[in-house]
Amino acid sequence: MNEMLTITIDGVECTCQKGEYLYDVATRNGIWIPVLCRSDAFDDHRACCRICIVEVEERGRRKVVTACVYPIEQECTVYTKSEKILEERAVIMALLAHRAPDSERMAEMNKFMGRSGFDRLISVDGEKCILCGLCVQACNSLGTGAISTVLRGTDKKVDTPYGNPSAFCVGCLSCANVCPTDAIEYTQTDTTRTIWNREFDLAFCEECGSLMGTTESVRHAAGEDSEVPSVCDACRKKKLADEMMQTYRYV
Amino acid sequence: MINGTERILVCCGTGCIANGALGVADAIQKELDARGLADDVKLDVSVVRTGCSGECEQGPIVRFMPRDLMYYRVKANDAAAIVDSLEGEPVQKLLFKKDGQTYEHMDDNPFYALQHKVVLKDVGVIDPLDINEYIARGGYEGLKKALTMTPDEIITEVEKSGLRGKGGAGFPTGRKWRTAAGYDVFPKYIVCNGDEGDPGAFMDGSTMEGSPHAVIEGMIIGALAIGAEEGVLYIRDEYALARDHIQRAIDAAYEAGILGDSIMGSDHKLDLSIVRGGGAFVCGESTALMASIEGRVGEPRAKYIRSVQRGLFDHPTVLNNVESLASIPTILRDGGEAYAQVGTERSKGTKVFAMVGKVKHTGLVEVPMGTTLRTLIYDIGGGIIDDRPFKAIQTGGPSGGCIPEELLDLPVDFDTLVEYGAMMGSGGMIVMDDRSCMVEVARYYVDFLCEESCGKCTPCREGLRQMRAILTDICEGRGKHGDIELLERIGRTMQDASLCALGRTAPNPVMTTIKFFRDEYEAHIERKECPAGVCAKLTQFAIDPEACTGCTMCSRACPAGAISGGRKETHVIDPHLCIACGSCREACRFNAVLTERRPA
Repeated sequence: MNEMLTITIDGVECTCQKGEYLYDVATRNGIWIPVLCRSDAFDDHRACCRICIVEVEERGRRKVVTACVYPIEQECTVYTKSEKILEERAVIMALLAHRAPDSERMAEMNKFMGRSGFDRLISVDGEKCILCGLCVQACNSLGTGAISTVLRGTDKKVDTPYGNPSAFCVGCLSCANVCPTDAIEYTQTDTTRTIWNREFDLAFCEECGSLMGTTESVRHAAGEDSEVPSVCDACRKKKLADEMMQTYRYV
Repeated sequence: MINGTERILVCCGTGCIANGALGVADAIQKELDARGLADDVKLDVSVVRTGCSGECEQGPIVRFMPRDLMYYRVKANDAAAIVDSLEGEPVQKLLFKKDGQTYEHMDDNPFYALQHKVVLKDVGVIDPLDINEYIARGGYEGLKKALTMTPDEIITEVEKSGLRGKGGAGFPTGRKWRTAAGYDVFPKYIVCNGDEGDPGAFMDGSTMEGSPHAVIEGMIIGALAIGAEEGVLYIRDEYALARDHIQRAIDAAYEAGILGDSIMGSDHKLDLSIVRGGGAFVCGESTALMASIEGRVGEPRAKYIRSVQRGLFDHPTVLNNVESLASIPTILRDGGEAYAQVGTERSKGTKVFAMVGKVKHTGLVEVPMGTTLRTLIYDIGGGIIDDRPFKAIQTGGPSGGCIPEELLDLPVDFDTLVEYGAMMGSGGMIVMDDRSCMVEVARYYVDFLCEESCGKCTPCREGLRQMRAILTDICEGRGKHGDIELLERIGRTMQDASLCALGRTAPNPVMTTIKFFRDEYEAHIERKECPAGVCAKLTQFAIDPEACTGCTMCSRACPAGAISGGRKETHVIDPHLCIACGSCREACRFNAVLTERRPA
């Protein structure tokens, strides 16, 4: 059993295990901290959007930390709504809203922060991506590794190597689905899907005809040594259930 | 008469090589050969190609040792005269002259007289590629002593020295080592940060080039202290000469039994290798550097768990800067207390600075911590070129700040300048005169960082993008009321909320110039005027007919062909052709080129 600690977040006493992330403790206790680059789907977090900043006071010293990756190692007092945090979070949000002016979600969140004085900022034309990196994390965790962040500084973006169609992409849409700003575009016809400059054939269930994904994604999900399924999950289960019923009827 | 050994030291640091030092060395060697002096066993005269001697602006530099005669601005065709002077009078025209005085010896020259060399003690004196020259000057004695000590004793010695990380952060080296030594997780690593990337900085590069064994010895001692058996030197791509010298020094150390399975015959082992940086400034940041060594994208990570606990390959790792490591051999050899004799209360020892810009004698200097900027610029550096008024000194590169005249008498150490909103930084120093626009300087650094930030976190990447846009607007006459406050707002957020130290210090050039030169920002914004006459969109140039001598220097310097006027005639600038680049003002020796506010 790990050592237990009691900390105070916005005046609320919270118990937690030593080493737990501050964000997890706060949300468990009903204290809201905004996050963008953090997803429950992953164990490690990039801590790059910086929207989850809070102030932590330890041994009389106050510092700004990102709640999503800050491990609680000692008793502390946390402020998620101090003037400093509200101001700096608003600046970060304004920066993101101008980074991704085409994202409605960013515009809404920016409005929600309720601070002004940012009209002077320039907008990045036609941009929706906030470079949270969740898409890259998703792609890596699936073992495909087709996309990554490329370039650096203000030119940084998410792309396939050299912008060419990637041999490793399976067109599974995990990147697009995990994206908080719907920045990853794809098109789909009756038989094909195009994403990251590559066209994939769609695979349909031989039983019910529902969409199973792309041919490549179905193969990738089955694993290298397994047979590629020709029916969807629902039909496979139904078939299995039918077989079971047949078997047990005669017992 | 030459009495026994006479070594002719030719500075072959990067600066002197660029000025033809290799040709000078060859010419002197040829001259010796031609006279049969090189083979004369009774004389033992040799040409030694050394690392950086320091006073780069006066290079190539040639020095006789032990006679201690120093020649400056030497050319290959001076070789005969130099060899003549081995047995005769010094070559007058090659000696250092200042204020009517001539200096024969290095230590008489005020540039060197005020220095105190610890890290650079062998740089410029020995052949960096000859391990025996390093050993002859007391090299590897610190290591020998360390091998008789326990790790705890080594660390205690370093703690006593008060050594703090000279890459700029100033973290106590002894404490870092003690923390790393305390983890029982193996393997552990020792890493040398040789990714010096600040514009205008060349302290670490010169140290690696000129005394590579000092860095290696420091790493071996560090490895003994923390219990590491593997070490990596991360050296930036641009430092080809430094990498070459370090690699050859590593090879020599293996051959001498100093590296490898049995360090100097002991039970300890250490393997060292070089990892070449890819040219990204951000890879000088500790966690980005380690990611780069591991073969991943050079992006920093959140450092709530420190590298000494989980660093390279998630193992305990000590990362020290080149200059810190090169200080270690002396600390072990002479004792920590001796090292701590020099410096200030909280910043012990010395610091190397690379002084460039509008200072007369640019170069590499090492001074006791606590030396004032005024001493550095005026006593060592000889003052401002053409004796123009001093305006600011930029310290610490893109992470540092611009320090104005009123702070020049503060002692330079890790803490004092910070209290005044500036910082000492890693040691890069760019001196600026009254013809530097502080808004433009801030814009330059922000522009640099827009390219060199890793781009991972929002405040740094997007904050820099917005700062660049606002600063460009201010420089080009589109500044708006409230811009200064917005820059400060973004800057404060970057300082608090950025992921790594690069982002947290990135607004420093902007914040310090606003703090110390706010009136200059206001002039740009309110009056659309660049007081320094630099910002092209706000400035127009004219020639003062009273002062112009018709020397034609300006018209020859003008890239746009905008200046007319014959020899000994008053020159005139055609405003329609002028691109306001300022080349004419730089070229004019008579202060005849005037700047004024360009009407809207």
